[in-house]
Amino acid sequence: MAVSACRIAIKLLRLLGRGGTAIPGKIALKICPELLGYLAKDVKCVLITGTNGKTTSSRIIEEIFAKSGASYFANRSGANLINGITSIFIENSTLTGKPKKEYAVIECDEAASKEVCRLINPSVVLVTNVFRDQLDRYGEVTHTLENILIGIKNSPNAVICLNADCSLTASIATEIPNKVMFFGVDVPIYNDPVSEVSDAPHCIKCKHEYDYSYHTFGHLGGFYCPNCGYKRPETQVSVTEILDTGISSTTVRVSVFGDSEEIVINLPGGYNIYNAVGALAVSEAIGFKRETAKSAIATFSCGFGRMEQFDLGGHTARIILVKNPAGCNQVLNYLSSLSEKTVFVCCLNDNSADGRDISWIWDVNFEKLADMDEFIDEIYVSGIRSADMAVRLKYAGINESKLKIFDDYDSLIKAMEKQILPVVIMPTYSAMMDLRSKMSAAFGGKEFWE
Amino acid sequence: MKLNICHLYPDVLNLYGDTGNILCLKKRLEWRGIEVEITKLPIGASADFTQFDLFFIGGGQDFEQEVLLSDLHNGKSNEILAAVEDEKVFLCICGGYQMMGQYYLTHAGEQYDFIGALDMHTVGSDVRTIGNYMFKCTDLSGASTVVGFENHSGKTYLGKNVSPLGTILNGFGNNGEDLTEGARYKNVFGAYCHGPMLPKNPGFADFILQTALSRRYPDAELPPLDDGLEISAHDYMVNRLEKQSPVSG
Repeated sequence: MAVSACRIAIKLLRLLGRGGTAIPGKIALKICPELLGYLAKDVKCVLITGTNGKTTSSRIIEEIFAKSGASYFANRSGANLINGITSIFIENSTLTGKPKKEYAVIECDEAASKEVCRLINPSVVLVTNVFRDQLDRYGEVTHTLENILIGIKNSPNAVICLNADCSLTASIATEIPNKVMFFGVDVPIYNDPVSEVSDAPHCIKCKHEYDYSYHTFGHLGGFYCPNCGYKRPETQVSVTEILDTGISSTTVRVSVFGDSEEIVINLPGGYNIYNAVGALAVSEAIGFKRETAKSAIATFSCGFGRMEQFDLGGHTARIILVKNPAGCNQVLNYLSSLSEKTVFVCCLNDNSADGRDISWIWDVNFEKLADMDEFIDEIYVSGIRSADMAVRLKYAGINESKLKIFDDYDSLIKAMEKQILPVVIMPTYSAMMDLRSKMSAAFGGKEFWE
Repeated sequence: MKLNICHLYPDVLNLYGDTGNILCLKKRLEWRGIEVEITKLPIGASADFTQFDLFFIGGGQDFEQEVLLSDLHNGKSNEILAAVEDEKVFLCICGGYQMMGQYYLTHAGEQYDFIGALDMHTVGSDVRTIGNYMFKCTDLSGASTVVGFENHSGKTYLGKNVSPLGTILNGFGNNGEDLTEGARYKNVFGAYCHGPMLPKNPGFADFILQTALSRRYPDAELPPLDDGLEISAHDYMVNRLEKQSPVSG
């Protein structure tokens, strides 16, 4: 009964063109709260959670499944709370609730993971990292970590893939009996990374300050507690050398259970190196062929606001979603490698999906943009909190004459279209959704639930 | 002219955007040709407090609280108390604000003794107050309207020897009961306005700077700045909150 109600709701919402990803699940869960557990009973689930990199990691893992010819489905559109996840399971079940596919690749919100894990009993869990994110919603980072830990404790049969370089994430291993695989990056990534506040300067076990043998970014790297001895664990899958960092891809040498592999990652940016090795760890945990995984990492495309490109008629616009200080600082690390004059666009919203508290923009090192002055033609600012964004950029040292504030996306899109220079857009989540749908309508692109 | 600013505990009291306040103080002095030196004083570090004109203490996470309290009780508390009585200027936000009081009584009934520079205490509750809010500073603190974001579960109650920083126009403030927000004692300014309080409240930012400047250079006056962007960010939130019911953030 609940399954049928939900299927009808999905069909209706699709017909209305609203991209119904969460509402059908919400309706069904009202009718039957344990529905998700019932639908997931015979599906082998990979669950991806953590603060940053969930969507990109999920897309890489999905590409590995596709290239392996496995029968799977995935929650593609970032509908990663229990309602959206239930919807996608309903969509992939028969009317009597039997699964249509063997595997599910599920991106899951950190706070929702404890309940989702209990219901879907995953075979593999990937934790990408834990950073400060939306304090108005999640509270402090240790709360996020606790939520993820509860989820994993609710996953007794899963292999757990953990980021060894994140002292918070890696600490999960000592709390659980599960089989664990660690992935990481053994060497620094950037020559001149932005300076940033560490989200975890003190030992999660004993609260003493950590020492580091190297940093990659944020609090990630070779941490070691001189007081209690807690340290970065041995890795099974890790980057041993950064071979080439390009504008649209990165080449790295990876050690996989002792084998040396050269891997091309089809997205630039240091944070995507972590996403790629995390996905590779998952692939090894499931037992896919390594060549298939390598080929998937070299060819996957993410879209959906993650380095997504639009052709504005002779010049390109790239959308790079920004959500929190750690993620945004990594985007700036990437942008500092640009070598042509560019127009930057910052769109700041404060809806609940973005985080209602925008003070995080003051923890982002926008001073890096001021350092790149010669490559910045203009900075366009838009979104609900555009005035706050403009103030932040002013105090970062950006010349006020380069700042232009747009009150609506239509005028912003017109201005971008008139440009001849490449455009890089950094929107928060709900700004990305609005802007993306307007840009898709104007310049072509996929609907978001596809 | 030169002001020395001390950023206390930047290693642990740095929750969301606190560095924005330091940056704002720095820029607004530099734009006026006033020299500024910022000294970061993390846990375990010591310095001669008499050299500083202005102290900033931000908000932090519960996780680091024990480390912080043991550092305070190792001598910094007394230095802070002396600086407060010496009428040095302090801006204390959220956790840093609570810390200046007598004690914090957790929801579970445990009591943590704080610096005790201000006659006030905080009681933990099981409800967090989260949202944009607005208050009007008392005449003693410049009478400007301040907009910002509050995110706290502690309720702060002021004693007889401190006055509130302002009166709540929209939101929760100190305790959600007496319409007060923040505290003012000598030259200590405390508030729940977490994250970057100063950049979009340029009137309040300049009041703090003027207080610090006057203490060192009695005849100095801050010349005005072009605050067009700051004022539009300020006015945007004032207008948005005026449209809401006064109790919700």
